[in-house]
Formats: sequence, C-alpha cells, structure tokens
Amino acid sequence: MKITTSSYISAAGAFLNGQQKFTFRETNWQKECYQQLGLDYPKFHKMDHLSKMTVLATELIYSEGHLNALMDDEPELLFANANASQHTDMKFIESYTQQGNPSPSLFVYTLPNILTGELAIRHKWYGENTFFITPQFDSSLFAERLYHAARKGGNWCLCGWVESKVDEKNKVTEECFLFLVALTDNTADRSSFAAALDELLTNYRNGNSGNLNR
Amino acid sequence: MENKVFLSYGTLVTPIGIGIDANFHSLKNGISGIQQREHSGFKQENWFLSTLDDLSENRFDALLEKALSDLKKSYSETVLSAPETRFILSSTKGNIDNLPGDVFSSARGIIHRQTNNPNDVIVISNACISGVIAINTAADYLRYSDCDNVIVIGIDIVSDFVLFGFQSLFALSDEPARPFDKNRKGISLGEACGIIVASREKTHTSAVEYLAGASSNDANHISGPSRTGEGLFRVVNKTIERAGIHRSDIDFISAHGTGTLYNDEMESMAFTRCELQNTPVNSLKGFFGHTLGAAGVIEVIVCMLSLEHQLLFESKGFEETGTTQEMNIIQQTHAAPVHTVLKTASGFGGGNAALLIRK
Repeated sequence: MKITTSSYISAAGAFLNGQQKFTFRETNWQKECYQQLGLDYPKFHKMDHLSKMTVLATELIYSEGHLNALMDDEPELLFANANASQHTDMKFIESYTQQGNPSPSLFVYTLPNILTGELAIRHKWYGENTFFITPQFDSSLFAERLYHAARKGGNWCLCGWVESKVDEKNKVTEECFLFLVALTDNTADRSSFAAALDELLTNYRNGNSGNLNR
Repeated sequence: MENKVFLSYGTLVTPIGIGIDANFHSLKNGISGIQQREHSGFKQENWFLSTLDDLSENRFDALLEKALSDLKKSYSETVLSAPETRFILSSTKGNIDNLPGDVFSSARGIIHRQTNNPNDVIVISNACISGVIAINTAADYLRYSDCDNVIVIGIDIVSDFVLFGFQSLFALSDEPARPFDKNRKGISLGEACGIIVASREKTHTSAVEYLAGASSNDANHISGPSRTGEGLFRVVNKTIERAGIHRSDIDFISAHGTGTLYNDEMESMAFTRCELQNTPVNSLKGFFGHTLGAAGVIEVIVCMLSLEHQLLFESKGFEETGTTQEMNIIQQTHAAPVHTVLKTASGFGGGNAALLIRK
C-alpha cells in the first residue's frame, strides 16, 4: 500500500502532492477551480458540492498520469465523510417546506455515494465502490479497507474524504482530500500507513507543503 | 488459506412480523406489509407503503432499539460485547429527524449502550446497495482482520423526506408494487430492520456459508439504471468468478426488483446476459416494499430461510411477464432443492452489488 498521488481542495486553494496549484478568490471557488483546470464538462454545473469537489480533485490526480493507464474496472472507489449528504439534504427539505415542491434534481443528490457515481460516469469506471460515514477522518478504517482490497487482489484504490456541511447560520464548511493508492506496493504496514495519511491531511489542512516522503 | 465465513440470521423486524419466525410465517402465507396510507403524500395522496404501526415518535431509534433487544434473545452479551466483534450499520438516511445534525450518532450510541461493544460502529451509506455491500465488508473483516463476528444491521424508515423525494421523481406506484410485472407502476416504500451475524465459526443452526461478493458501477447515470445492465452484468460475473462456481450451480436469485419500469427491465437484460434467465428468481419488494438501506440485509435473511426450509417464495405482485427478456419469475411459493443462492442489488449512484451463499 503506497500513496502515489494526493490532492486537496478547499476554499483556500487546490493542492497536488503537497504543492499548491491554485488559489481562489471567488466565493464560488468550485467554479473558479473548474475554470482554472480548463475543464469542459457541462454536467459539472448540475452537480452538488460533494460531486463537484470530487470531480475537481480527481482531475488534479489525473494530471499525474497513473489513472490513465488503468483498466475500466480497476480503480476501486473508497470514500467517506462525517455528514453524508447533509448540505443537499437541507436544500431538499427547504424545497418542500418553503418553496412549494420537493425538487427532484436536489433529491437525487441526497445520498453521499452519488459522488462515486459521478466519478464513474466521468471516467467510465465500472469497479467496486463503497461510501462510509465516520465521525471524523478515520485513517485506520481506510488502512484496513485498503489492506482488504490488496488481499483480494486489487491493484489500485482511489480514496477520498469529501465534506460539505452547512451550519445553522448557513456557513458552509467544505474540503476534499483524495489519495490514489497502489495496493501492490507492499512498503507500508497498516498502522504506519494510517499515521502517514493523518499527517498528510493535517499538512493540507494547515496549508503546509506536504511531505511526501513516506 | 482464507477463513471461511458463515452468515446466520439475528433478527428481522418488519411490518409483517417481529422476529424471524413471525416473518417466515407471513412470507409462507403470502402476507404483504404494503397498505394504503392515507394522506402520506406531499399533496396528501394515499400512497401504498409498508410501515410499522407501533413505533414511538422517534421512529428510527425506536426500531433499532427493538431489533437489538430481539437480537439479544438469541446472542449472548459475551459475543456482542467482545472486542473481536464488530458492528456494521447499513442505512441510507439514518435518523433523518436529527438533521442538520449527525443522522448516525444516535444509532452509534444505541448500539454501544445495548451491546457494550468497545469498537467504533462502521457505517455504510451507499444507497440501495448498502446492505449487500455491508455483508461483503463483514466477510472481508472476518477473512483478513482480527475479527470473530461481524454484526450487520440494515435499517431505514419511511420519512416525508424520502417519500416526497420518490414522489417528485414519479417513482411511486399507486398500487402495491408489482416487481417484474407487465403492469408495474413503480415502488412501494417500506421500513424494516434486519440483523445478520457473520462469523468465522458455524455457531448457529441457520448458518449458511458465504462464498463471495462484489460491487460495481454502471458508469451511466446517477438516478437511472443502465439500459444494458452493464454494472449488474459485471458484478454478477465477478461474484461467480470469485466464488469459483459455475453459473449453473445457482439454484435461485433474489433480485433487487423495485417495481419501476426501468430497474426491472435493466435486471432482465443483465440476468439474460449472464445466462441466468432460466434460474428461478424473485423480488421481495412486494412483501416488504423497498426498504432502501435495509433491503439487502433483510432479503439475504429471507434467502437464508429459503435455504433452511428448502422453500422458494413467490415474487409477490407478479402476474405476467413485463420485461423485454423473459425470466423465470417464481409465481407461487413452493418447495424446491435450494443449495446456492445469488443475491443482487442495484441503486442510485449507479451502484450494483452481489453475493453468493450456500448451504
């Protein structure tokens, strides 16, 4: 198990392998990131924030090359967050309590695993997918599930921690941390892998240039 | 050499019964939980739902409490509280009344308090394939981690949120759901809690061997199934391959069969592509409605009942072939030799999952 590439995006900017790629000025920083990446994918604009962030952070990882070479069912998608689809859930509730009708276009995003569906559609991936809910980023759960995937003969996992939460004052907290793992590389045990993951995310959250020497 | 994995039923709490025996009795007698519920819709429509009558105000928590209390009648505190026992909760929406707060925190608390288990509860929220993925995940823990038992809890309730959502998609049927039937009109939502105990040892009389499982994505659409059934086709093949069996070994398929036009059509395409169109198949959504995150778990429990009693249950609501590809839909509950069972699920986000069990 070895992290070959990682990316992180939040309102503070977009990072790839610990290096800052973009800074954002706009309130709609996800659209700004889309423009900076030069993407042409109209579906993007219909997505919820979880899916948008995941698509963007995956584009960053894609630019590093590894993902291009994979078979269409090879990258297993292993995702998690703490609040499921809470942000869209609140918008959907508003659609039928305050705006007169339950909105079907919001309802379809009221499940966290929709983002893995959006990724699968974007990149034509047919492989395994799981979405976990953990109270905070749980590096040991990722390490354990990656170990299981390796034992089952998998080669690659694209993992992510993607959060979009709105509080009572309408303040939105968002981040997306992705890491691509080569399962066949046997250089880390589960606990040191988990510790490295925690350190990587902490560095990203603190805006530090990450240390990628694992 | 991998550890063997066995699945036993823990409990089943549904509108047609509290406990395994009560549900078996209702299934055998063709009793469905789906009833017309007055003013349940967004504009007071009278939708057909499979709902529990006797839950207190806090319905999700009350259902979980009830199921765990019933589980404790057949599994000792020693097993439930052991550090080598893990809990996996499968649910699409958790306790939705807790929004904007954490919808899964009350479930975590209830499980810890009722069982004294020291481990973090693993929560899987992967739309309608959550239950099958949860069982597959449990098997991985038993095979590859230091773990003796994994208790898989599948639970979801019918809420305004989910009901209004499916209504907005025009996905609800104005009569009890009729999976695979020519005149099917959509789904009937349901609520239930099922608990499966996955173990390394064959400790319970109901135990069946878990052979293999997998998941896949259609890579096609987030809220509609693939017309060709690509994801389901792939996941069934992968599961058969992992189990190391022949497709002709499969005696029965417990399909997803929601009762929507597109889903059931997709499944007929996929099973035909898998050359399983002659294998007896049913959907249990005509009995329980679509219970979302609970569906995979409660339907695997019914598969275990088929294996235990050598009995295939009717696909309730089905009368006439209504899919492009004809399948061998079970029209009447009948005795039959059943050894190997395939369970499948498909859901929003384009997800598909499958598993194989054998007795």
